[in-house]
Amino acid sequence: MEKIKFTIDGKEVEALKDQNVLEVAQENGIYIPNLCSNPEVKSSGGSCRVCLVEAHQNGRMRLVTSCNYPVREGLEIKTETPLVKRIRRGILELMLARVPDAEVVVELARENGIEEPRFKKDEGENYRYKCIACGLCVQVCEEVVGVSAIAMLNRSYDKKPGTPYMKPSEVCIGCGACAYACPTGAISIKDEGDTRKIWGKEFKMHTCSVCGKPYIPEAQIDWIVKTTGKDRSFFDKCPDCR
Amino acid sequence: MAVDINQIDEIISSHEKSEESLLSILQSFQRKLNYVPEEGIKRLSESFDVPESRIYAMATFYKALSLVPRGRHTIKVCMGTACHLKGGGLILEAIERELGVERGGTTDDMRFSLETVNCVGACAMAPVVVVDDEYHGHASSSNVHSILKKYE
Repeated sequence: MEKIKFTIDGKEVEALKDQNVLEVAQENGIYIPNLCSNPEVKSSGGSCRVCLVEAHQNGRMRLVTSCNYPVREGLEIKTETPLVKRIRRGILELMLARVPDAEVVVELARENGIEEPRFKKDEGENYRYKCIACGLCVQVCEEVVGVSAIAMLNRSYDKKPGTPYMKPSEVCIGCGACAYACPTGAISIKDEGDTRKIWGKEFKMHTCSVCGKPYIPEAQIDWIVKTTGKDRSFFDKCPDCR
Repeated sequence: MAVDINQIDEIISSHEKSEESLLSILQSFQRKLNYVPEEGIKRLSESFDVPESRIYAMATFYKALSLVPRGRHTIKVCMGTACHLKGGGLILEAIERELGVERGGTTDDMRFSLETVNCVGACAMAPVVVVDDEYHGHASSSNVHSILKKYE
């Protein structure tokens, strides 16, 4: 495939045509903070705004989110200019006021010199635990799992992920991919004995025939068998005992 | 309130069967049934093969769609700058007391739904109360009773 040459912080880098700036920076050991993008999820990214960088080209400069900005020949990316730092601090300060209990956000804010936001922290009915409403959980459920048990509900200030009518979903398979992908750990998933609880629904877990540990929801086995045609006996043993 | 499944199916089948008609079907639900019923979302999801969560998300996104039955009449109390200064808040409170519902709610007899809006573009008549499509200017907490009286 066609190779593209451009620079990040003055360092010359090479990339493939369909890559984005964040990906290439990571491959080259250049750190750009980010929350909402996940390389496994094609449509992810662009919503948390933490990965902002300066993109210079043809004598013009734009602030862009590096996680979904496609690489171009001759592009000059700058990740730590005073402007980028200032804007990023502003974003993190707002985010910290919104989700004061999300450890990742607290840590990122601290790295950028913010201990306490100047804005009023969310509480009471506005309190939304750790969720930054990036939508990654919804994208994972739709694109990777293929179930679409959850969606982003409401809009603006009240936007949040959830199941229809906030009732236990009829289609959720309890795989927990949403909770796993969530950058801030905002989705509650509880495994107790052979039961898993997520999105207000309880799932019976399948037990490994060797070590006796419950390791996968029965509903997820049903889903995998149905969509891939894999043999059910494959799931007798957990991945550790296979 | 029981919903008529036949009526739901009728609305669905009167539209073209493509994802683009989802929103106009939801609008038809709103127009004909006064809300978007849960059964309607389920039916749509089945017949269009679109995840229920996505249709539910659409219904929560648009202010024009309601997930609970709305009253026969909609009262909109203007909270815009001019109306705010002329006492829109007091009028809202007066209506809340008169009907016994909070903003966003519907009276038990399904007569009224109470909403706030941020400007209806009639600032010269401030404070304004809009019932259905009728504008009532220079409203006051003492004349809301007579404004609402004529709606049944």
